[in-house]
Amino acid sequence: MVAGLFRLLLSEPRFWEALYVSNQALILGYAFSVVVGISLGLIAGRFHWMDRLLNPYVGVLLAMPVAPLIPIVIIALGLGLAARVFIVVLFAFVFITVNTRAGVRGVEPSLIEMAKSFGASEGQIWRRIVLPGAMPAIFAGMRIGLGRSITGMVMVELLLVASGLGRLLLEFSGRMQSDLVFATVLAVIIEALVLLTAMQAIERRIAGWAPDISIG
Amino acid sequence: MIRVRGLSKEFATSDNGGGGVLALSNIDFEVRDNEFITVIGPSGCGKTTLLRIIAGLIPYDQGEVTIYGRPVTGPGPERAMVFQNFALMPWADIMTNVSFGLEIRGTPKEQSRATAKELIKLVGLEGFEQRLPKELSGGMQQRVGLARALAVNPQILLMDEPFGSVDEQTRRLLQEVLLSLWERERKTVVFITHSMDEAVMLGDRVMLMTPRPGRVKEMIDIPLNRPRLREVEKSSTFLEVKEYLWENLKAMQLE
Amino acid sequence: MKQETAAHPAFKSRGAPRFNFSLGLRRSARENGLEILALLGGAAIWEALGWGLGLQWLPPFSRVMETLWQFVRSGAILANLGSSLWGLVVGFGLSLAFGLVLGALMGRYRSIERALDIYVHALFVCPSIVFAPIFFAIFGLSDAARIAIIVVYSTFVIVINTTAAIRTVDPSLVEMARSFGCREHQIFTRILLPASLPLVFAGIRLGMGRAVKGMINGEMLIAFVGLGALAQRYGAQFDATKVFAIAMVVLIIGLVSNWLVQMLDQRFTSWAN
Repeated sequence: MVAGLFRLLLSEPRFWEALYVSNQALILGYAFSVVVGISLGLIAGRFHWMDRLLNPYVGVLLAMPVAPLIPIVIIALGLGLAARVFIVVLFAFVFITVNTRAGVRGVEPSLIEMAKSFGASEGQIWRRIVLPGAMPAIFAGMRIGLGRSITGMVMVELLLVASGLGRLLLEFSGRMQSDLVFATVLAVIIEALVLLTAMQAIERRIAGWAPDISIG
Repeated sequence: MIRVRGLSKEFATSDNGGGGVLALSNIDFEVRDNEFITVIGPSGCGKTTLLRIIAGLIPYDQGEVTIYGRPVTGPGPERAMVFQNFALMPWADIMTNVSFGLEIRGTPKEQSRATAKELIKLVGLEGFEQRLPKELSGGMQQRVGLARALAVNPQILLMDEPFGSVDEQTRRLLQEVLLSLWERERKTVVFITHSMDEAVMLGDRVMLMTPRPGRVKEMIDIPLNRPRLREVEKSSTFLEVKEYLWENLKAMQLE
Repeated sequence: MKQETAAHPAFKSRGAPRFNFSLGLRRSARENGLEILALLGGAAIWEALGWGLGLQWLPPFSRVMETLWQFVRSGAILANLGSSLWGLVVGFGLSLAFGLVLGALMGRYRSIERALDIYVHALFVCPSIVFAPIFFAIFGLSDAARIAIIVVYSTFVIVINTTAAIRTVDPSLVEMARSFGCREHQIFTRILLPASLPLVFAGIRLGMGRAVKGMINGEMLIAFVGLGALAQRYGAQFDATKVFAIAMVVLIIGLVSNWLVQMLDQRFTSWAN
């Protein structure tokens, strides 16, 4: 029965178009989140004063639901791709920052001391000890950030029903095609699980040597 | 050779506002070329701090520390350190870990790897080059640490309770590995330990330190022949020196 | 006084790693002071930009606070606030019930864990919001839908933490209890329960945060009542000031609820440092 449902959905050409449009916001938003998130995380990890400065805001952003701010973003940026991408970034980047920072801070101090004892320069310490040591946490952050980006994308789709899967869902429910509604939601769930599982596999390859201390 | 004169080091305590903790006070001693010095003393006597100062990892407040006449201002190519908790990079294989010091100091990769390979063989870990640290026992991990330090061909080896994290059997084995390596090429060694057996077994002289603040109480000669074999542990000289150490350490504990 | 020796660049030391991201943790007064200063600084910048740039979507901080105060005084948002909080309480309550029981069972009995583990993890990893359309389809525009979303948001983190909490109880304690002849349920109440409390509370705190997010996310999508609905309405009216004010209310709910859980946590687990 589920298979039949899917065949129905996948044959609908609007589905693929909607999937493409929705994922644009996801891919661009996630990419920006990763860049912003890792940069801020590295800076916070390296510079104490920056870390102290950012800390309260990070705490607020972690705890606070982003959703109420969505109308503000709409007022500022309208209903187009920019707004959707920005919302996805808002949902995701803090989690990447927090995990990156934890990764940098969590590098075993005796390893840094060991490198210094061989006369390593600051650059060498970063390239050979801190960054490799922080990789597991950074990837954990990227995995969590991906989950958050998907949440952002879904929120965007369902609130800004101008295009993409959200609009499709609206049409289906408008036309009382509840089976297609279910199928579409299922498709989103499957996409989420596939992406996240893939991410976890990558993470395990890169960071097989480390225990899990991820945040979020 | 290493010369330390009138060395003092104070640590500021952050919440205290007022004074700090005097870790080392007026330390005076010399280590001759190719000499193996062991350092022993109760907790708080500053032996780890002293080693780090000689390694050039932390600054000192007063006095002078010179190596071959040149004052210590940072780490240098003539010194290499071995750490108590091994300090191996968990994400890198043994080969990469051993070549680390060489690569940092600018040796081209090819050459580093070749030297590393020799040393891995020397410490008895041939065949383990591609393994990760977590796949090795504690004793094997410390042999990696040793190989890494020896790879950069230092004249001075600084060892911070290197066998403190392993069980007794492994510790005795590592002592023998270290001694046999040292007999091949006699480097200058400063070796910190908590174990009296180890201090007497390995050293040409033992530096006895007292705590709060850290001071050198005495430099004790160890009149035992080289190369040191296990049987030496039963000799009367060994037991006498060990007893002497124990009397002193016991007195410090009871203070 | 300490003499400064000429500092070689190699002597620059890195501070000891120290990480806390929760605003509520106890720290030195100086650290707290610095962070409050950072927040005040941010508010000042917000204020300046608000007046200076005159953007429709960025009202000055003071105006937002003023609106918030208006809300409080006039009780304008009271009905919606009440509706939201009621949903939160019921939803979180259900999550606690499901989460703690399921987590305890999975923690204690390996067979149950093996059977359910994969589902729990899949649901935990999956962004919970995707279930919103499903609940909407099943329950329609109702409280049940909102509450169901909160339950999905919050339950699984509680399950996972509770399972871990029970698993990591020192097995020698259990062995000790058995050696004195303790029976199954006694072991549970006298050893497992108290010993696992700290980690269980960690899960409850996380669950609380998730529940608040579920509350607001759900409301924005589904409800015609509640703070989420208000935010949507004000947004449609292009009234950024009121939307920010609602966001502040949500933030306060989050902080207060987190603080409440922390108080309980400290009351019951002070023995675990």
